[in-house]
Amino acid sequence: MKDFIKACFLVAYRDLRRFWKFKHWLAAQLAMNLADVVIFALVLNNMVNRDYIPDYVKFMSTGVLAIATFASAFSIGREVGGEMRREVHHYLLSLPAPRAALAAGRFIGGALRGLVYQLAFIVLNLLVVGVPGPVQALAIAYTSLLFSLSMSALAIAVVSSTRDFNLQSTFRALIYYTLFFFSNVFYPKELISLRFPGPLAAVVTHAPISRAAEVYRWGFGYYQSLDPMALPEVTLWAIILLAVAALLYTRNLSRQ
Amino acid sequence: MLAVSAAVKIVDFVKKFGDTVAVDGLNLEIYEGEIFGLLGPNGSGKSTTLLTIATVYKPTSGDIYVFGRSVTREGDEVRKYVGIAFQEPKAMWVDTLYELLLWHARVVGYSSAEAKSAVRDAMERLNLWEHRGKQFYQLSGGTRKKLEIAKVLIQRPRLAIFDEPTAQVDVITKHALWDVIRELRQEGSTVIVATNDMFEAERICERLAIMYRGRLGALGTVRELKDRIPGGDVVEIGYEGSREEVERAVSRLPSVGRYVLEDNRLIAYLNRGEEKAAEIVSLLTSAGVKVKRIMVQEPTLDDVFFYFTGARLREENQDVALNRGATPWAR
Repeated sequence: MKDFIKACFLVAYRDLRRFWKFKHWLAAQLAMNLADVVIFALVLNNMVNRDYIPDYVKFMSTGVLAIATFASAFSIGREVGGEMRREVHHYLLSLPAPRAALAAGRFIGGALRGLVYQLAFIVLNLLVVGVPGPVQALAIAYTSLLFSLSMSALAIAVVSSTRDFNLQSTFRALIYYTLFFFSNVFYPKELISLRFPGPLAAVVTHAPISRAAEVYRWGFGYYQSLDPMALPEVTLWAIILLAVAALLYTRNLSRQ
Repeated sequence: MLAVSAAVKIVDFVKKFGDTVAVDGLNLEIYEGEIFGLLGPNGSGKSTTLLTIATVYKPTSGDIYVFGRSVTREGDEVRKYVGIAFQEPKAMWVDTLYELLLWHARVVGYSSAEAKSAVRDAMERLNLWEHRGKQFYQLSGGTRKKLEIAKVLIQRPRLAIFDEPTAQVDVITKHALWDVIRELRQEGSTVIVATNDMFEAERICERLAIMYRGRLGALGTVRELKDRIPGGDVVEIGYEGSREEVERAVSRLPSVGRYVLEDNRLIAYLNRGEEKAAEIVSLLTSAGVKVKRIMVQEPTLDDVFFYFTGARLREENQDVALNRGATPWAR
């Protein structure tokens, strides 16, 4: 068990360490996410219906926290894909580490990237939205961990399904934008229901990014209450995505 | 678990990639503590075999046992014994040489402090220290190969695998790498070297397997393989005397398969030329023939390689062209 944990930690550390090497990507990503709040939310704040969104800046800041965590955790997929194309995974597979530790380490590595990256947006939310109480802080931490872990696992599993760069990019983009746009980060459920009557609003509500955003909105005090199903659904998404991703990634790694 | 009698035991190993058969029923034993060479043309299945020993690939059928552990069922255990220097260095372009090796040292079992010291030692040994801050993409082909060797040098595994370790490296580095390989063996490691360099194989390998189209073409020590070429050695004797006497003397030696007499020179094709030359000289002298000079030339490993592989290529070409059976190879 000690060896397993050590291998897992080292693999995660490898991915986290490499995160800092992509400083230009990080800067661009950070600027983009901040621009979402600074430009988009500030402009729209005076244009949106206050009955549905009392304060769009606060609404968006908490939503961007979820999006930023998602984007950052999901970025691990890009590297895992590159490693598979260059057969760097052969090296990883030859190392004295159990396959499960390798998979777990990579998932955790991606998750840590998400958690580190979201720190800047946590600070932003503390300044713009409010300071959470102990229970809320715990819920935010719990959600961040599971959400980041499941998005990292999803990205790794998807990208490792093929070594074709075009297919990898297409799969990643397809999932990324589906999760990104089918979320309540930009608009609350009520507005989505008005524009798209039917099941779409319900689908959006139960999507993982939406659930994480809701916890953050409640956690930082934008919402006064939390849907009791939000945290269980965050947990359920994490269990499902982690299980499927672990299965897919280990299968894809040792397919040959 | 098998009784440990060999470092690596390959049993009916088949590896297919789709419809392509990379290795086709390979059986082989590599003894503990030896430097074993794997020779073969491109696409002969050398790398596939090595990657399967390292548990990167899974056998399609058959199995490989590393110190008695099955690669199909006990991969986690096998990986504790194996270290591999890949043919194509495997790293992401953004990592520095030092980071790559330091992480490698940690993952193969060194503590943080030990890792730094082991990495520095290996890097200095291979003249890599000055490049430590360079990112992988900035490294030359030769330096990348040294990175792979350094990984194994740091790991000091029980089974060290080198896949074409000296391709793309200069002569000085080549000799340094051979020293590393010998040192590992000296310390108790079993070493497998896949190579296309005949000189390298002859210099460092104790036994060789020649692979051809996924199958074992030949197996043995360098000497044994050379002896397996019919009439492989050439003994050339310059003489003064009667041609008939020479012919009579040589005909009494069944070990001489074929010979040529021209310009007072006897050119005999046979095996174990060094041993037989004295016998020929003795016979000629007793027949009154004066021996003026002797030259013995043994086949090179190139000859061995062509005999077990190139010959078959020619056979196949002829099979296709003439649609008939194989033509025996002749020197």
